[in-house]
Amino acid sequence: MLQFPSWKVALIAITLLIGGLMALPNGFSNAFLGIEPERPSVETPEALAEYVAARDAARQSWWPGFLPSGKVNLGLDLRGGVYLLMQITEDDVIANRLRVFSADVGQAFNPSPSERIFQTNETRAGRLEITLRPDRNGVIRMQDALDRLDDLNTPVEGALGGARTYTIDQVGDASIHVSLTDAAVSAFKREALSKTIEIVRRRIDPDGVRDIAPQPQGENRIILEVPGEPDPRRIKEVLSQAGELTFSLVDDTPSRIQQAVSTGRSPPGWRLLTDVDSGERLLVNNVPVVTGADVATASQGYDPDDNTPAVNFRLNGAGQQRFSKVTQENVNRRFAIVLDERVMSAPFIREPIYGGQVQISGGFANNSAGLQEAIDLAAIIEAGELPAKLNFIEERTVGPGLGEDSIRAGTLASLIGLALVAVSMAVIYGRLGLFAVVSLSANIVLILGALSGLGATLTLPGIAGIILTIGMAVDANVLVFERIREESRSGRSALTAVQVGYEKAMSTIFDANITTFIAAAVLYMLGSGPVKGFAVTLAIGIFTSVFTAFVVTRWFTVMWLRWARPKTLAV
Amino acid sequence: MLMKYLPTRTELKFMVFRSPAFILSALLIIASVALLSTSGLNFGIDFAGGSVIEIEKPVDSAVGDVRSVVGNLGLADVGVTEAVGTGADPQPVYVIKFRAPEASEDIESAQQEANDTVRSALTEAFNLTEADFRSSAAVGPKVSGELFTAGITALGVALVLMLCYIAFRFEWQYSVGAVAALTHDVIITMGVFALVQLEFNLTTIAALLTIIGYSMNDTVVVFDRVREEMRRYKKLPLTEVIDLALNGTLSRTLLTSGTTLLALLAIFFLGGPVLRGMSFALIFGVIIGTYSSIFVASSILNTIGVSREKKSIDDVPGFQGV
Repeated sequence: MLQFPSWKVALIAITLLIGGLMALPNGFSNAFLGIEPERPSVETPEALAEYVAARDAARQSWWPGFLPSGKVNLGLDLRGGVYLLMQITEDDVIANRLRVFSADVGQAFNPSPSERIFQTNETRAGRLEITLRPDRNGVIRMQDALDRLDDLNTPVEGALGGARTYTIDQVGDASIHVSLTDAAVSAFKREALSKTIEIVRRRIDPDGVRDIAPQPQGENRIILEVPGEPDPRRIKEVLSQAGELTFSLVDDTPSRIQQAVSTGRSPPGWRLLTDVDSGERLLVNNVPVVTGADVATASQGYDPDDNTPAVNFRLNGAGQQRFSKVTQENVNRRFAIVLDERVMSAPFIREPIYGGQVQISGGFANNSAGLQEAIDLAAIIEAGELPAKLNFIEERTVGPGLGEDSIRAGTLASLIGLALVAVSMAVIYGRLGLFAVVSLSANIVLILGALSGLGATLTLPGIAGIILTIGMAVDANVLVFERIREESRSGRSALTAVQVGYEKAMSTIFDANITTFIAAAVLYMLGSGPVKGFAVTLAIGIFTSVFTAFVVTRWFTVMWLRWARPKTLAV
Repeated sequence: MLMKYLPTRTELKFMVFRSPAFILSALLIIASVALLSTSGLNFGIDFAGGSVIEIEKPVDSAVGDVRSVVGNLGLADVGVTEAVGTGADPQPVYVIKFRAPEASEDIESAQQEANDTVRSALTEAFNLTEADFRSSAAVGPKVSGELFTAGITALGVALVLMLCYIAFRFEWQYSVGAVAALTHDVIITMGVFALVQLEFNLTTIAALLTIIGYSMNDTVVVFDRVREEMRRYKKLPLTEVIDLALNGTLSRTLLTSGTTLLALLAIFFLGGPVLRGMSFALIFGVIIGTYSSIFVASSILNTIGVSREKKSIDDVPGFQGV
């Protein structure tokens, strides 16, 4: 217990040094550490100026690159920001899938006029109902239809045993019910979840600079955390849109629109939509020229006419070809850019558009709100269509003011708590108490270092966890000191008392800390958000406090014993 | 060095008080269960669902102004209170609570929309900026139900794991005593929450789990000593062995509880309102946990008894050989 060979001393010193270096960046500003700030998403002149100043300051920093510069990751409750829990609508995933299948069926049943099977499709209660109609000879070609459907019924990707995607049931003489198999439902749900996570990320963080990583929870939920965002409404707005984009030709003949409005019925193949900006009613063709899948890139730009914000996008090769062909044939007519059944823009085709460059403009105010709106719309278009509707089921927002106040209150409480504990230890145990206080400070440094190094998140309950650790870290020291005191009183020499004291306290210290660790582990596994942060600091604190109390304090004590050589311990 | 003047070995007869302590604990548990089933816990939105929005108090406004703005939106259970904020220069804040109308078809989404509606209405009525909103939260009934189940599961799982660990490191008699003490602590702490109607939320569950860990810590220290004294004094009656162990660990128990309480009091008074409920639970839990490891865990061990011949030191699994 009292032997400290030089390799042990070296190990202790290295551990403390690494912990200290990891904790060090927390004491300095980002600029001092050479960390460049994020580029502001809304580039108003003031925001841009501030960004450039901070960036230049960071570039002038002399902080050496080999030293760690990562700080403790602050949780949303300390940083401020929006937390959203959302759920994918399962029925929507199934319905969308069946809609795609319905279109496939239409094509498979009509490869050429001679081989056509007449049918009507209807999606109802999570299944597709196909009703066959007699052909020219009055025959219902049920077997042929079943065979063609069987060809469409591919195995579920990645499923064991080659499970098929659809269950196909013949009902009566003329009707077939198609539903998704369980294997297919869970595969599509998995696919929808990962696809949605990617789309959510690209809508909220189109440039990938804000380090936003939506997390899956269970099989149909997504957790999104957006640090620094003060208004949950904007996030919800951006994510609640399906993002279904189409370019379609427009019929703006006043009489036909008038008729559609008054009868409430549009001509076949057309639908009546409203322009979001002007409120104009337009008849839009049901067959789109290009869709969101044909968009290569979308970005926020400016309208060359009046310099107001706009959204520019470029079509990919296939989209470009179709679009230039249609614009060639329809000069002086209008086309509509439709997003989720709202007409975003309905410009005239003055001349054929060959390059595939299109702009939505005119709808955005010339201020930072309009700018943000254009940025959001570009992100929605570029990220693409959500596979299913997202429902928000939990929202937590912490404003920047509250976050700052919490940090201040937490830091103050920690310092006062530490001071109170340090003073009582010194008063009660004298010199040994002082050793404990030094190792307690080392403990705090190690906790901070571990949090920074592991990239763990510090939350407000996490700060409470650190303070609690301060109180409880003393426990291991106290257990040892009490034993030393007992041994000393029973007449043992200082050296033996310390030796026996540590030996006897050891198993108690381990038992006691393992039970607390069990509680922390359970909290981590079953908790969420701030509670998880509490569990992390508690668990880290258990390790560091056992190390500091059992190793660091012991080392100090032994060094002092060797140096002062007291006959007995005055405790 | 204060310690020099304190006696190393007290000779208090703790086990003499085990009957009065048992009656006291039983009464406290009955009272807690009664309180929990009558007035119940004051669940926060984590577990009850609903919304809370906190805004900085606009100049020249009164609670009634806010109530009339939010009250006209067709929401249920609208409550507005004025409170003091946190920070170096605490400003008064309004805490606004409400629920989506019960009749809503999709109550989860309705609760979210209600938050957006209230935010917009307040922004317009008092000309607020984003910075005036200190916090907002909306939890639907489904999520709150799940959070509650997860919280209770966490408590249960932690208790069972502790039971297993103690049974493994000691003997089953010890684990019965330890888990009885933990359950005692959790029930009484929840009873106190029901009594003072302090908000019971996710962080309170975290606090309860920490109390379990802390109380367990205390109990293990005492039990370790019981085991040790039992080996040393093979013929001494169990009651006296337990008294010896409790006296041997008394100054440690009081000191650790004392320093932990000091740290917790610092959080309670300086950590701001967000941490107040949590630190209250922890302060109370440390006190009750210290009491229970002396009187509940040890008394039960005393009552059940331990077989003293069966195991030698080497049979006990663990760290002795290290």
